[in-house]
This record gives sequence, structure tokens and C-alpha cells, in this order.
Amino acid sequence: MESTLKSNTRSKLVLDQGSKKKNIKNTLIYAVLILFAIINAYPILWMVINSFKSEKEFAVNQFGLPKTFVTQNYIDAWNTANLGVLFRNSIFICLIATIITVLIGALASYFLARFEFKLSKAVYTFFIFGMLIPIHATLVPMFILLKNLGILNSPITLLFPYIAFNLPITIFILTSFMKSFPKDIEESAVMDGCGIFRIFWSIILPMSRPAVATVIILNFIHNWNEFSFALVLINDPTLQTLPLGLASFAGQFTVNYGAQMAGLTMSLVPILIFYLLLEKEIVKGMTAGAVKG
Amino acid sequence: MHLTGKNKAAIVLGLLPALLVYVVFAIYPILQSFYYSLMDWNGFTDMKFVGLQNFKNLFQDPLFWNSAKNNIFVVAASVLGQIPIALFIALLLNRKLKGVKIFRTIGFIPVVLSTVVISLTWNLIYNTKNGMINELLRSVGLDFLTQNWLGDTKWAMISVCITVIWQFIGIYLIIFLAALQNIPEEVLEAAKIDGASEWITTWKITVPMIWDTIIVAIILCISGSLRTFDLIYVMTHGGPSHSTDVMALYMFNETFTNLQYGYGSAVSVVIFFFSLILILLVKKLLGQKMV
Repeated sequence: MESTLKSNTRSKLVLDQGSKKKNIKNTLIYAVLILFAIINAYPILWMVINSFKSEKEFAVNQFGLPKTFVTQNYIDAWNTANLGVLFRNSIFICLIATIITVLIGALASYFLARFEFKLSKAVYTFFIFGMLIPIHATLVPMFILLKNLGILNSPITLLFPYIAFNLPITIFILTSFMKSFPKDIEESAVMDGCGIFRIFWSIILPMSRPAVATVIILNFIHNWNEFSFALVLINDPTLQTLPLGLASFAGQFTVNYGAQMAGLTMSLVPILIFYLLLEKEIVKGMTAGAVKG
Repeated sequence: MHLTGKNKAAIVLGLLPALLVYVVFAIYPILQSFYYSLMDWNGFTDMKFVGLQNFKNLFQDPLFWNSAKNNIFVVAASVLGQIPIALFIALLLNRKLKGVKIFRTIGFIPVVLSTVVISLTWNLIYNTKNGMINELLRSVGLDFLTQNWLGDTKWAMISVCITVIWQFIGIYLIIFLAALQNIPEEVLEAAKIDGASEWITTWKITVPMIWDTIIVAIILCISGSLRTFDLIYVMTHGGPSHSTDVMALYMFNETFTNLQYGYGSAVSVVIFFFSLILILLVKKLLGQKMV
């Protein structure tokens, strides 16, 4: 009796030690994860918080919350950086480029995925090869090509490289998705007298909705963030996109930290909201883009 | 039934728009850069064929080798920084702990931000006068450690690399997590029953099982960091005194600042093959191990 009691308490003790050990371990894990989260998020948070401080306060109180909420930085940034124009240009380019890329990409994917013809595989490989091309290697010839075509420095200049360089990943994702549909889908449609393009528009495209969502997001983020082509191909300040405009704004106003932080905050808030709302889709799109890109 | 060949006209019509844009604005330019690389050309006057002279000059320019060396430094820092940290955090997140999702969400934030925004933010952080890092050091009385992070040849490259690492950990974190979640639970259970410690399980079972993914991540990391341009262009523009110059930036300056379009194209061609060779090499080296 006594001995069972003893062994009982002992096993309880061992158990306690075990869970204690586990507790310490979990605490350690959380500590590491929290440190990781802080390192990831704090630089952004630091900037957002400080964008609401006056220059004086920023100099003495960098790590606290603003004592007085100042919006002057935002007014300065909006006016001097021409943010309204930059936003408009970026939204215009991103929307149009994304829509065209996804439309013509989906159409091409439809034929590559659902039709059997001699060059099908070759054309597909040819498209996928585009993912290996380093963009920087094309900056010079792209500049010359667009200059010769007379579309340098125009509102639609950036559409051409953006569409061309996002087609490979778009076609890659859409083709593999469309290939997974059962083979007899079109059969009944053909029986009903549906044309080939009609089948694409009213059957295949709607069925591909998840993959289409992925490529729309992927395209949009790529275009929204793109800098190199914009840098080389756009000179006119009224045609600049957000990244290009911000870079030149920061170059000119190196001493006005507050305005810089306000401008950066305004440009990153939309994409952050977009990310938090569509996290699953965005993560899926961007990792697919990375793995094959 | 796959619709077959009788619809040739439709097939051509359907592929044409994408093919046309792709060929004219992606394939043609890359072919042109091979062509231009054999020319002496300032972009305005007539081209002069010079054969491989551009490449010869290129390989004799110490500034090119400097930029290549810096580029390899960035690649090494990215691979040695991003991959292990991402793997470590992914292993921690791959347990049934509460609140794991939040860390994933936060971890991915830098990936969605534009490189320009990230570069400008970190420029403010590294700022000598009142950047976050120097301010932090001063506030804990370590004034003597404050540096001109981006303006000092000794520190500029390291500072830039820290930002590069910070920017892309998230993407590898997600890639590793996806791979880890694909490991069948029974395998790990079996190891547990056999009495293997967690440490052993991780090294002998978990990591080898996602080794393919790790190789993919390393290749991505190499090809991505080899193309670093935006970040350095905005943060330091290659300075101070070329200490952060990388190949793409060298090409950009030679082409658009010094107006040597032929020479710049030669650099493009070298970058193209350099990255191809490096990736094949890694595939070969790592692919044979442990499989």
C-alpha cells in the first residue's frame, strides 16, 4: 500500500518534471518566435509610428508613441512627392497590364492545355523559358526597342515589358491547372454546338477561377513593386510609378525624414491591407511564382 | 476528348496574342543583347562590329571583378542567412503550438513589400544622425558602437546584406513549412516510438525528407540574389567607392551613365551565363548528396 503510494507520487513527480521541461521548451520556442516577429515587423512599425511625429519629437523620442499626433508630414509628402499622380499611374499600369496578361495568358493556356497539336509542347517550353531570363539583361535592348517603336516615355510604355515578362509564370500556373480537368468536359459542350472560344469563355475560364485569382494577385504585386524597367524606360515625372517616384522623392528630400516616412507609409498601407485580407491567396501566388521563377 | 487538330486556325488565333507580345518584348530583347555585345556603340551613332573586344575589356576591368566579388558576397550572405534562419523558424512553427499562424503572417510581410519601400525604410534605419540602429545604441550607452552604416566601406556591404536577408526569409519560411507539412505523420510517430530524441528526428528524418525542397530554395536564393539590383541602387548606388557595386549595377552604370551600350550588353550576357552556370553547379553538388 505504502509502496504503491510512493511509486505513485514518484511517477507524478517524473510527470511533473516532464511537463515542466516541456513548458520551458515551449517558452523558449515562443521567445525565439517573438524575437523573429519583432525583427520582421518592427522596422515597418517604427517607420509608421514615427511618420506621425514632428521633426523635433523624432529627434528626442524615437521609440515611443507620438505625444502629439502630427499630420503635417503627410501633407508635405502628398504635395512634394506628387503621390496622387504616382498612385494613379501605378494603379493604371498595374490594372491594365494584369488584365491583359491574364486574358491572353489564359487564352494561350487553354489551347496549350486542352488541345493536342504538334507544336504544343515546344510552344509551352518556349514560354516557360522566359522565367530564366534575367530582366536586367534586357534593359538596354528594351530601351532601344521601345525608343525605335516610339513608345518610350508614354503612359503605356511599361505595359509591354510587364505583360511580356509575366506571361511565362501566368501560363505556367494556368496551364497546369487547366490540364487537371477531366477530358470529357468539352465533349458535351461541343455536342451542344458551342464554339471553341465560347467553351473557353463560359466553361474553362470560370472553372479555372482559383488559379486565375492566384495569377491576378501575382501579376498585380509584381507590377506594383517593379522598379528596374520603370527606372530605365520612364523619364517624365508625370508618368512615374510609385516605386520610381518614391525613390526620386527620397533622393531629393534626404533631410525631411518625416515626409519620407509619411510617403513610404502611404505607399505600403494599401499593399499591407491587401495582404492581410487575401493572405492565403497572396502567399500561394508568390510562392508559386518563386518556386518556378 | 481533347479537341484535336482540325481547329488549326483557332489554335493559331488563340496563341497569337501571347506569343506576339512575348517574342517581341522578351525574346527579341535578350537576343538583341547578344548581338549588341559584339558592337562598339554609344546608343546614338552607328554601331561598329568589334567581335569579342567588349568581353576582353570586361575581363580586364578591375571594377567588373570587384562587382562580381561583391555579387558573390551577396549570394553567400543570402544563402547562409536566409536558408538556415527560414528552416529553423519553419521547424519551430511546424509544431502544434497556439498562435503559430500569426508568426507566419508576420514573417511573410517583407516579401509583399516593394524593394524600393524596403530600401528606403532601411536607409532611414541605418541613418547616421538619427537612424534607429544608432539611436538604439546611444540609448543603451553604447555610443562607441555607432557607425555610418551605409557610408563606411567597412560596413556598407554588411548592412546591405542584412536588409537583403531580412527581405526574403519569409518566402523560404513558407516554402519549408509547406514541405514540412507534407511529411507523413506516421514516419515521425515511428521514430518517436523507437525512442529517437527530437534532435535526432529532426536531423536524421525531417531534414533529409525535405532535402529536395531545400535544394530548390537554395537555387532560388542564388538566382534571386544574383540579380540584386533595385535594393542596392536605392540604398547605396554601389558606393561608397564601389564597395557595394554588383554586376547588374555595374552594367547599368556602364550603359546608361557612360553610354556604352555595346559594352553594357556584354555585361548582360556575362550575367546571364554566370547565373546559369552557378545554378547548374549547385544542382550538381547538392543534388548528389544525401539522396
